[in-house]
Amino acid sequence: MGSVSRLLADYGPAFGQALLLTWKLTAVSFVAGFALGLAVTVLRLFPLRPLRFVLTGYVEIFRNIPSAALLIFIVFALPDLQVLIDYEPSVILTLTLVCSAFTADYLRAGINTVDGGQVEAALSLGMRPMRIISAVILPQALRAVVQPMTSLLIALMLSTSLASQVPFPGRELTALVAKIANDSAAGMPAFAVAAALYVATGLLIAWAGATLEKKVRILR
Amino acid sequence: MSRPLEDILFGDPGPEAQTTTRAVSMTAAAVLLLLAMGVVMRFHGAGQFEARLWKFFAWPTTWAFLASGLLGTLASAAMAAVIALALGLVLLLGRLSPLRLARYPSIAVIEFLRGVPTLLLIYVCFLVLPSAGIKLSTYWMLTLPIALSTAAVVAEVYRAGVLAVPRGQTDAARSLGLTEAQVFFLIVFPQALRYIVPALVAQLVIVVKDTTFGYVVTYGELMQNAKVLIANYHALVPVYLVVAVLYCLVNYAISKASRRLGRPMH
Repeated sequence: MGSVSRLLADYGPAFGQALLLTWKLTAVSFVAGFALGLAVTVLRLFPLRPLRFVLTGYVEIFRNIPSAALLIFIVFALPDLQVLIDYEPSVILTLTLVCSAFTADYLRAGINTVDGGQVEAALSLGMRPMRIISAVILPQALRAVVQPMTSLLIALMLSTSLASQVPFPGRELTALVAKIANDSAAGMPAFAVAAALYVATGLLIAWAGATLEKKVRILR
Repeated sequence: MSRPLEDILFGDPGPEAQTTTRAVSMTAAAVLLLLAMGVVMRFHGAGQFEARLWKFFAWPTTWAFLASGLLGTLASAAMAAVIALALGLVLLLGRLSPLRLARYPSIAVIEFLRGVPTLLLIYVCFLVLPSAGIKLSTYWMLTLPIALSTAAVVAEVYRAGVLAVPRGQTDAARSLGLTEAQVFFLIVFPQALRYIVPALVAQLVIVVKDTTFGYVVTYGELMQNAKVLIANYHALVPVYLVVAVLYCLVNYAISKASRRLGRPMH
């Protein structure tokens, strides 16, 4: 226990900043990824073959590519194509693309829980397709995917550890542990503190997700 | 009634709607084509089509090297998966045990391993354990952390399956005089497995993705071998593109297989 308190005396503020950066990367890429995934889901509903084809390809590519490989491509290969993106935006872009693909996948499953009869009923009331999507389909689909989206958010939070692979000035939790382990013998306590922060964040997200799920769940 | 929603939404369009759809489709196709051409132009403009960046893909040695990387990926992923499936069962049994002394530690271990990034565990095996005198080979530095974090997830997947088995099955088995162990291993667990095959296969995709971190510990998997190729030929874009396609193909095949397995069996 003594080694942990000594560690916190030396690196306390660094851990605070690392936790905040981990949270920031998670929040920014989740919001962007969710919005993008929602857009992909809606566009995939339209009867436009070429668009559907390309978007299905998009979802399959970013669902199946390892995030680390994607990040390395964006950071190290894109400059060869004269596309230069700074380190932190690169990490956010990577996580956003992956998050959007999974969001689109889960939302599609959520949409499948909506009964076709409801769409027919809405059509017979004279509602236009776009209005049916926004007023009938999406609200139910969104309520159905709270649980998988919570798991996705936790997975995304853990994936921010990818940021330790690129040398940007701020350090999130994993990069900080790697640095402390390199610089001193305090690797084990540093790992323990970072692990506790990760686990606590994950439990917090899981709790929030379960609470939301209880509120919006549709009992059929 | 089982028509896809989008067919109902836009189904059976009149001639006018058909014309509109066709026009918009053509426009969308044109825009997408322009985008693709833009990407090709960018490749050309950056000199990425130069023969020296691609010609080594015509050599069998290049593909043999990539194949050995893929083999390294699969060797690590397969071992991690086997360990995770076995250790996950141990954690599950602890988690379901009526003994608090077994249950609470199991819950703690599961939450801990599930809640920590695999990459952080890899760094512990790579940077921290050696200073404590424990030296692992690069294969285990990569495989062990992946196996541990996957085991915790697998334990939770198992549990979801076990909870989905109807209670009557347990009661009936008990009334036949089976022991608790027999009830679990002969009646409950085999049925639970059938429910969770798709989730387990999805986990396998994540295991394959996690092995990408092999380059952190310089274990010779696909990503690490890609880096070696790049160091030799300075062809970042081509090599990473080919490797990305390989990863997508492997993982797509795995999840396709899961969809087939996941179909109802009766």
